[in-house]
Amino acid sequence: MILKTPEKNTHQYGKVEGTGYQSPEVWSKVTGKAVYGIDLAMPGMLHGKILRSPHPHARIKKVDTTAAKALPGVRAVLTGAELENRPFGIAVEDELPLAVDSVRYIGDEVAAVAAVDLRTAERAIKAIKVEYEELPAVYDPSEALQVGAPQLHDNFPGNVAWQREMERGSSDAVFAGADLVVEENFTIPAINATYLEPIACVAVDDPYTGITLHTALQSPDAVRNIVAKALNYPLSKVNINGPVMGGGFGGRVYGNLKVYILSALLAINSGSPVKIQLTREEEFTAGRPMIAAAIKMKMAVKSDGTILGREADIITDNGAYSGQAPWVSKTLSERNDSVYRIPSIKTRVRLAYTNKIPTGQYRAYGNQAANFAAESLIDMAAKKLGLDPLEMRLKNCVREGDITVHGLKIGKCGLSECLQAAAREIGWDHKKTGRGYGLSVAIHANGSLVFDKKFRGASALARLELDGRVTLFSGEQDYGQGTHAAFAQIAARALDVNPSQVTVESKETKTAPFSTGALAMRQTTVGGKAIQLAAEDLREKIFKAAAELAGEPVTMGNGVLYSITGQNLELAEIAYHYHNTTSGLSLTGEGKFVPEESDYDESGYGNISVAYSYAAHAVEVEVDKTTGALTINRLVAAHDSGRIVNHLTSRGQVYGGVAQGIGMSCFEGYLFDEGRVANASLVDYKIPTALDLPEIKPLFIEVEDPAGPYGSKGLGEIVMVPVLGAVANAAADAAGVWITDLPLTAEKIYQAMAGWECEI
Amino acid sequence: MNNLKKQVLIFQLNGEPMGILADPAESLLTILREKLGLYGTKAGCGKGECGACTVLLDDRAVNSCLVPAGKVQGRKVETIENLSQGGKVHPIQEEFVEKGAVQCGFCSPGMVMSAHALLKENPQPNPEQVRVAISGNLCRCSGYKQIEEAILSAAEKM
Ligand code: FES
Ligand code: FES
Repeated sequence: MILKTPEKNTHQYGKVEGTGYQSPEVWSKVTGKAVYGIDLAMPGMLHGKILRSPHPHARIKKVDTTAAKALPGVRAVLTGAELENRPFGIAVEDELPLAVDSVRYIGDEVAAVAAVDLRTAERAIKAIKVEYEELPAVYDPSEALQVGAPQLHDNFPGNVAWQREMERGSSDAVFAGADLVVEENFTIPAINATYLEPIACVAVDDPYTGITLHTALQSPDAVRNIVAKALNYPLSKVNINGPVMGGGFGGRVYGNLKVYILSALLAINSGSPVKIQLTREEEFTAGRPMIAAAIKMKMAVKSDGTILGREADIITDNGAYSGQAPWVSKTLSERNDSVYRIPSIKTRVRLAYTNKIPTGQYRAYGNQAANFAAESLIDMAAKKLGLDPLEMRLKNCVREGDITVHGLKIGKCGLSECLQAAAREIGWDHKKTGRGYGLSVAIHANGSLVFDKKFRGASALARLELDGRVTLFSGEQDYGQGTHAAFAQIAARALDVNPSQVTVESKETKTAPFSTGALAMRQTTVGGKAIQLAAEDLREKIFKAAAELAGEPVTMGNGVLYSITGQNLELAEIAYHYHNTTSGLSLTGEGKFVPEESDYDESGYGNISVAYSYAAHAVEVEVDKTTGALTINRLVAAHDSGRIVNHLTSRGQVYGGVAQGIGMSCFEGYLFDEGRVANASLVDYKIPTALDLPEIKPLFIEVEDPAGPYGSKGLGEIVMVPVLGAVANAAADAAGVWITDLPLTAEKIYQAMAGWECEI
Repeated sequence: MNNLKKQVLIFQLNGEPMGILADPAESLLTILREKLGLYGTKAGCGKGECGACTVLLDDRAVNSCLVPAGKVQGRKVETIENLSQGGKVHPIQEEFVEKGAVQCGFCSPGMVMSAHALLKENPQPNPEQVRVAISGNLCRCSGYKQIEEAILSAAEKM
């Protein structure tokens, strides 16, 4: 039976506030019919489980699997020593599917089993005997970088996973000539993406067609490459087939590679499909949180508030393996520099191995962590100079035509308008007494031209179906952020049809066009541009076929073609005509968005993206002077993401992203005890509930940017970036003291107010 | 495994009588998903921390992962699958879609069931009562705003 879903929401591109087309998937989600990774089951499927290290650092002396293998119902037991163990990794190949000689964090994968049910798999895991020789461990990244610290990886001496030093302009001279120098140390803990559905993967091996991983990923093509290499399978024999994804937020760009590789190896070994599903605790202890950072930053300013230069010395905490941490560290260390006209920069960033959970990424890729530091420093300077923080930001923020200190080319830019709108809406000019107010700004790239200099764009296909509907084939994933609805709207606009006539297909890597993935806020701008081009190409082809069929030129309106003598041609008719005259082919438009090469040089200077999005947030808070408790009353989020494709889903992105920013500002963060995650549950690692959020007001400053489809740009990541700085500034304004260590808990604010830390 | 521990459990499930042989210590969530194939109820933690597994037990919202199956004996259980029947979508679900309250959707079945329980008890809640009613349901995507709007709007329409 087909559920009768109301045919509302058929609104076209953009339109007014309060409206928005939505993909049909939302109906299956809200009725409980959508199939997520955790819901998957296959005939003959086994359940996999992973044995993890109880030690932060140890040598493996012996692994005895005899008892586990002897258990009835156990079908495969794998250890590192028995595997043809190929190193793999994302930025650095520093991981093995299973540990061979040593374990480097509490949770490190030591063995894996597959059994007929989960209980048997758990029993088998317990039956494996491992002898360890414990080794000295290091948990603090700055200690890890010191001479004599315990070493994690032989090929990374000094525990340096990655580092970078750069100077643009002459920093020493700039600082020597400054009217004021402000300097502070900031710390930001590791953050868990906390997508609500734990990672689950069902691996199916077929000796003829290869391996299929049924798992939801933001970047399935990237994971497919890594898995193929780790398994030593040809790329075409690895397929990733995505069920519905229960949230991602960057955490599922690469997801949990160990889970995918181990479920594949167990499937190959046992000859049966194998499902591995992480528990929530495993998500916290062996998932891939975003790196913690310690940022020492100083800024040189003129007495009129002009920023002259900034220096930063940053240490980021890699954990035991690298994941994407080098790339996150890079973005963290530089993106924020490009939101203002800063003539000189000097930055050192070091990523240190420690005996803790390995790291991955999270929405905004560290830009939000740096925002906390950089934007706090702006307010510190403004207060010292007696300047209005709004004026100081307006004086320095980038504008169209600028080339930033790192070579970013600022195209269409509504940043100063965002600032003014946010300030106006929060009541900047008539602040209430007893409240604190804070501002913060952000820039974020829309996809990368330099991540792979040879592959910079996206492609898509648009096919006219025999019933006159349109199917878009794209590798870009939707996990609720509204990408597919936006794509349907973009194509609908190009083809002059209703978006509900358009379906987006992106499920399997073996059939979908290759995509870099749902990352770097690239999908609307880069993926969407490819959709636009594909739909326009299809439109041309439809015109050609229609003219052929009608025997005269045609025009189009509302999905119907009209010939000059007044014949009406339905899209289905044209589709059939083409189908018949080609013996079964479909009219298919091809979209290839190939952005120009960047001037990006060896030093990392140059334009990195086809477009940038901008934001300014304004916050009003209260601080309880007797307890230090921080209450955020209101948050205004002004965004220039070009023309808004869909106001309904865009508002959803702002509410959700701001909520994550508030969580990170006020209470989120990993806690460790000797390398062990001390808050490995949703009770102890608190994320915002419906009772923890203020009134959030999204404002869209729609400066159309020709770089994206019909003037639109990305929104999903930048939404959380300015929250951190704005909340910190508002809290400082209310409390009269600065907290430079996230999250801003009542305890820290109270202690600072009581003078336990020095006031400024 | 151990059939000795199993019991016959008789309860009302989505308006129909149900009898199954199950370990009474097993969670209701496991029974619904693994034994009865009702996968609409989601599992985000299995420990009563996220609300994704919310169902109605005698019209009250509960985390089914915390309810031992033995506790449902003779009682009434309602799951998300009961809400859209006879080719019609429930007004709460309709408003969830209309207001953009569904992003990844993983929390949605649990959220909808919490809203359903609230509106049964209090057909005209104010925004604060809505927020309290869904405060045990975590949503990482939405920031809750559009969920709150959807529930208030459903209350008006019902
Ligand atoms: S699964 Fe029951 S509360 Fe999370
Ligand atoms: S919609 Fe994703 S968790 Fe709520």
